[in-house]
Amino acid sequence: MEDERFDAIVIGGGVAGLSAAMTLARANMKFLLVERGEFAGAKNVSGGVLWGSDLAKLVPQYWEEEDGGWERFVNHRRLSLMDAQSAFTLDFKSSHWNEPPYTGVVVLRARFDNWLAGKVQEAIDASDYAEESFIATDIKVDQVIMEGGRAVGIKTGDEEFHAKVVIIAEGVNNLLTRQVGLQTEYVPADHMLTGIKEIIRFDQQRLEDRFQLRGRSGMSNEFVGWATDGVEGGGFLYTNKDTLSVGLVLSIADLRAQKKSPHDILSHFKTHPVVADAIEGGEVVEYSAHVVSSGDKRAMPREVYADGVLIVGEAANLLLNAGKAIQGMDYAMRSGILAAETVVEAKASGDFSLGKLADYRKKLDASYIMKDINGFQDAVHVLHDPIMQHKVPNILCDFGRSFFSIDNQPTAKSKDMILDAVRRHSSLWEMAKFGFKAGRSL
Amino acid sequence: MKSLAERLGLVGYRNQSRSEIKPHIVVDTDICNSSCPHKCTTWVCPANCYTLDENQKVHFQVEDCIECGTCMYACDQGAVDWNYPDPEIGRGVNWNFG
Repeated sequence: MEDERFDAIVIGGGVAGLSAAMTLARANMKFLLVERGEFAGAKNVSGGVLWGSDLAKLVPQYWEEEDGGWERFVNHRRLSLMDAQSAFTLDFKSSHWNEPPYTGVVVLRARFDNWLAGKVQEAIDASDYAEESFIATDIKVDQVIMEGGRAVGIKTGDEEFHAKVVIIAEGVNNLLTRQVGLQTEYVPADHMLTGIKEIIRFDQQRLEDRFQLRGRSGMSNEFVGWATDGVEGGGFLYTNKDTLSVGLVLSIADLRAQKKSPHDILSHFKTHPVVADAIEGGEVVEYSAHVVSSGDKRAMPREVYADGVLIVGEAANLLLNAGKAIQGMDYAMRSGILAAETVVEAKASGDFSLGKLADYRKKLDASYIMKDINGFQDAVHVLHDPIMQHKVPNILCDFGRSFFSIDNQPTAKSKDMILDAVRRHSSLWEMAKFGFKAGRSL
Repeated sequence: MKSLAERLGLVGYRNQSRSEIKPHIVVDTDICNSSCPHKCTTWVCPANCYTLDENQKVHFQVEDCIECGTCMYACDQGAVDWNYPDPEIGRGVNWNFG
């Protein structure tokens, strides 16, 4: 008798789920992807830059499409350390990044995910299961069905769907991951952040002139220091086609402790002279917020697989911000691909046992995702250290003001300017210790 | 600078024409108003779904919720029962940009 079950059910039509689905479709698997939004991306928010070149594996030559779902490729990166009046910025722009596959693309998720879902549908249509694999929207999964300790399908309303494997790609608010017992029922605020942003629209030519963009080139700018009004976190500004994504990520535990509101801090951030100049004349067209994990391993589920279950993307809290970039969507993409490959291999060997699904953990450990998450935990801690959050930006901005000010007086040596700035906000001993720690962590 | 109300006015919500919706978050405000030492949801929620009245009592409304999840982590008192909205009879967001 033919097996009526799906090879896999994928819960969630975000980057992780769609990447898994694309890989399944290409390998002629029979699967169901369910998305609770009206369309893939309808519920999703990110900063956001999709870093790296995995997108080119999923959608080859995606850059050749006239109106692909991405906004701009990044060839200009900035990291700004702020005090109240100034921003000391590390600025790197290179034509090296002008050619595809790009090093990163800025995306808006309601557009990008929907576009990617269209590509997955094309792959389904070209597969052996064109009539039997589906992307189904407006479906909220109430629970993962367990039989004898093994996940065998999903329940949505009165309906049940069965599969050999359930891939959970539900995002950071991972209720089903908790339900299957891989994450604690209550996840404390300690390593969780609230992302909050505005989409600000401009005349496209004006935006391109302001940020020196050509064609589809774009700029990413992260901010540390005054941006967050004393709350642990950071800011960002990314160029889209004719809009900017401007926002913050803020520690929930610290917001709670300091009695501050994220929307007030966003307003505060926008008044900084550097940010105000960047967004001047634009029209706010959307306000959004979403929780994001910090990349601290302590926030991760106790395991990324169980009997009949694979957890991908931010449902597994796969995210890292080690000061270089906020990487989440690329981890979602790669983990989705690796989970799907595990399913494909399981089907080929006729073995969907727990031991076989453990291959997903091995693949993840062997990939850049876990190598970087494991290798840069110290950097995550350094970035969230109050010294990095407050003192370093103040020192650098003080030094910048001394160094770049020309006031027809005898000029101090730069070394003395640095020492002066350090002593004003910290001490040489503290900075030496911190510098050593930070240097090693990166 | 836009007020929070103006910001929320830009958000697309689902089932706005429905007079009655099924709330996807249920808050036991008895906990907030008896034993909670901080009432933090009243300031951490980016959509201001949690408010204090003149007697410092916490009230919750789900209509403006943008499903971010912040309250689920911020509340360490067990007062917030957080779920995803039902596509048919719930509220929740429908992002234009995301």
